[in-house]
Amino acid sequence: MKKGFLHNFYQHNGRVLGTALLVILTFWIGVLIILPQLSMLDYSLREYLPSGQVGEYTLKNYRHLVYGAEGASDPYNYVDLKVFTRTIVAAICVTIFNLLLCYPIAFFLGQVAKGMKLRIFAMLLIIPYWINEILRAFALKIIFGATGMINAVLIGMGILDEPFDFIRADIALYAGLGYAYILLMVFPMYNVIESLDHNQIEAARDLGAPWWRIHWRIVVPYAKPGISSGCTMVFMLSAGALAAPQILGGPSSLWFTQIIYQWFNDGGNWSQGAAYAIVLLVSCIIIVLAFMKMFKVNMGDIGK
Amino acid sequence: MNNLFLRVSIWVYLGIFFAYLLGPLVIMALTAFNSNGFPSVSPWECFTYVWFSELFQDERILNGIKNSIVVGIGTVIMSVTMGLSGALILTQIWPKLRATYYTIVIAPILVPGVVLGISTVVFWQRVNNFFGFGPDSIFADGLFLTIIGQSTFIASYCMLVLVARLQRYDMTLNEAALDLGATHTQAFRKILLPFMMPAIATSAVLAFLASFENYNTTTFTFGDYPTLTIELAQKVRYGISPAISALAFIIIVLTVFGALTNEALKRRKELQAASSGDTVKKVDGGFRLPTFLSRNPAMIAVVMLVAAVGLSAVNAMTHNPGQCIAQVQEERQVIRALEAAENLRALAERRAAAAAAREAEAAANGEVEEPAATPATPQGGSTGAFGSVFAPTNLDGAEDGEAEAEEGEAPDNPLGSVFDPTNLSTATED
Repeated sequence: MKKGFLHNFYQHNGRVLGTALLVILTFWIGVLIILPQLSMLDYSLREYLPSGQVGEYTLKNYRHLVYGAEGASDPYNYVDLKVFTRTIVAAICVTIFNLLLCYPIAFFLGQVAKGMKLRIFAMLLIIPYWINEILRAFALKIIFGATGMINAVLIGMGILDEPFDFIRADIALYAGLGYAYILLMVFPMYNVIESLDHNQIEAARDLGAPWWRIHWRIVVPYAKPGISSGCTMVFMLSAGALAAPQILGGPSSLWFTQIIYQWFNDGGNWSQGAAYAIVLLVSCIIIVLAFMKMFKVNMGDIGK
Repeated sequence: MNNLFLRVSIWVYLGIFFAYLLGPLVIMALTAFNSNGFPSVSPWECFTYVWFSELFQDERILNGIKNSIVVGIGTVIMSVTMGLSGALILTQIWPKLRATYYTIVIAPILVPGVVLGISTVVFWQRVNNFFGFGPDSIFADGLFLTIIGQSTFIASYCMLVLVARLQRYDMTLNEAALDLGATHTQAFRKILLPFMMPAIATSAVLAFLASFENYNTTTFTFGDYPTLTIELAQKVRYGISPAISALAFIIIVLTVFGALTNEALKRRKELQAASSGDTVKKVDGGFRLPTFLSRNPAMIAVVMLVAAVGLSAVNAMTHNPGQCIAQVQEERQVIRALEAAENLRALAERRAAAAAAREAEAAANGEVEEPAATPATPQGGSTGAFGSVFAPTNLDGAEDGEAEAEEGEAPDNPLGSVFDPTNLSTATED
C-alpha cells in the first residue's frame, strides 16, 4: 500500500518536485520533531557527565523527582512534587477561568456582532496578541506592583489601607497567564460558533427556551470542538509557560518550567532537566487525553 | 425588562473584558512618557521623551533587535518551506494515514516551548559529538540552534495557514498545465505558487512575528546571540525601567499601524470590487474626502496615526521637560527632607522605647529571681509587683520608666527593693 502511495505521489508531483517535498518533510518530521524528542528521552535516562559525553543508563533522574537527592532527610522530594502539582492545578484553573471569560465574547463575535462592530472587536483582540509576551507580562507587573495602578485605586477608594503584594500572593501570575492566552481561547471557539446556523437559536427561542438553555443545549454542544481545542492550547501553554512565572511569580513560589530551567542553566545537569521536561510533557499529554475522553472529543478536532 | 438587563450586562461584560485585555497595554504605553524613574502613571511627574533616547542608546537592545531580525528571516524561510511541503503532502496523503500524519505535524504547537528548546539543544549536541566537531562548530552555534528550534513549531502554524488556501485550489488546473506540456516543476512554479502567494505572504508574516516574540524555546538555544525577547526578559527580571515601556510603546504603535493598514487595504479592495459594477459615478455635493479615504474608516485611522506620530516626533525635538523635572525634584527634596525629619524623630522614639523595653525586661528578670531567693514573701501587694513594669507609659522612655518604677514602689511592699535603681543596673549587667 505504501508503495502504491509513493508511486501515485511521484506520478502526481513529478520526480524533482516529489523528491524535494519528501526530503523537506522528512527533515522536518524526522530531524526536527521526532529525533530530538527521542534524543531527549534517551538523555533523561542516562547519567549526566559534564564533559558532554553520554553516560550509563539509569533511572536516577526520574527517581530524583519523586524521592529527592540520595541521602536527603525527607522520604519524598516534597519541594519539586509540590511545585509540579501546583503547576498542573494552576494551569487547569487558568484554563477554566479563560473558558468562562472567553465563551461570551466568542458567542458575541460569532452570532451577535455584525459588520463594522465585528471588525473593530476582532482587531482589538488581535493587537494585544502580537505584543511580545515579555512586554505583556511587564505591563501586568507595572499594574500589580506595590505602587501600581490597582493598589493606587484600591487605596484611593478606601478598600485597602496599605499596598497589597499581588506578586507575592501569585495573583499577578495567574492574571498574567490568563491574559497571555486569551486569544488562543477565543479564536477556536469563535470559528466554530460562527458556523452555527442562527436559525437554530431562533427556533429554540420560538419554542420558548430561556437563554441559558439555548446555550446549554445548542451552542455549547455545537461548539465542543472549538472549546476543546481552545482549552487544550491554553492548558498546554500555561503549564509550559516560562516567561510569565519568571517575571510575575512571587519570590518564594516556582513554576515547574522554572525548575527545568534551573537544572539546565544554573544547576548544569542536563539529564536531570531533560527528565523533568519529559515528565512535564507526558503528564500534560495524559491530562489532555483524559479530558478529551471525558468530554468525548476527537484528536482530529484540535487545531481546526 | 429582562431583555434590557441582558443587554446591559453584555456591555458591562464587554467593558470588563476589553479593560482586562487592553488596559495593561495602555497604562504601560503611558508610563513611557512619565519622567518618574519607576514606570508608573499615578504620581504623574512630567511629560518627557527621555526614555526613548535612553532606549536608542542601549547597545544590548539594539544588538538584540539585530539578532531577532536575522533569526526571524531564517525562521521564515525554513518554516514557510517546510509548512508548504507539509501542506502539499497533507492534501495528497493516503487517507488512512492522514489522521496520524496530522497529529505528528500539529504536535509541535502543543508541545511546551521549553521541551522543544531542550530537545533541540540536546539533539544537536549529540550530532555535534557524533561528528567529532568542537564547541564552535555550526551545530553548536546559537543562531543555528535558535532558527532550528523555532522552525520546528512555527512550520506547523504556517502549514495550517497554507492548508486552508490549498483546499480551495482547483487540481484540474495542474492537470491542464501538464496536458499542455509543462513539466511538474513548471506547473508548480507558474500555477500553484502564484495561487498560494497570498497565503505564503500571510504565513511569512505570522512566522516572523512568532519568531520575534518567542521566548520559551529561544531561552535554551540562543547561545551567543541573544534576541530582543531574551534581552527584554533579562531586563524585566532584574529591575524594570520606563525605557522598556518606551520600547513597548513603539511596538504597540507599529502593531496598531500594521493591523489598521491591513484592514484599510482589505476594505479598499472590497470597495473597488463593489464600485467596479457602477457605470456612472455618483455625484455628491459639498465636501468630499479624497477617494482613498472615503467610506474607509480604517484608512482614516491610519492617516491619523501617522500624523500623530509625526507631530509627537516634531514635539520631541522642541519639548523640554527640564523645568518641570527640576520643579518635581525640588518638591521631592522638600518631601524627602520632611520624611527624613520624621524618620529621625521616629528613630529616636524607637530607640528610647527599645531602651525602656530592655530595662523593663531586666526588671522582670530581677523580679523572677527575687521570689526564688525569698520564697515565703507574700505575692499580694498594693498594685501587684508586675503592674507598673508593664504599664503602657513605661515604654515612652527610659527615664519615664524609672520614674514610674520608683513611683510604684510602696514603702511597705516587700518587693520594693526590686525597683531600686541600683538593682536595675546590676540586673542589666547580668
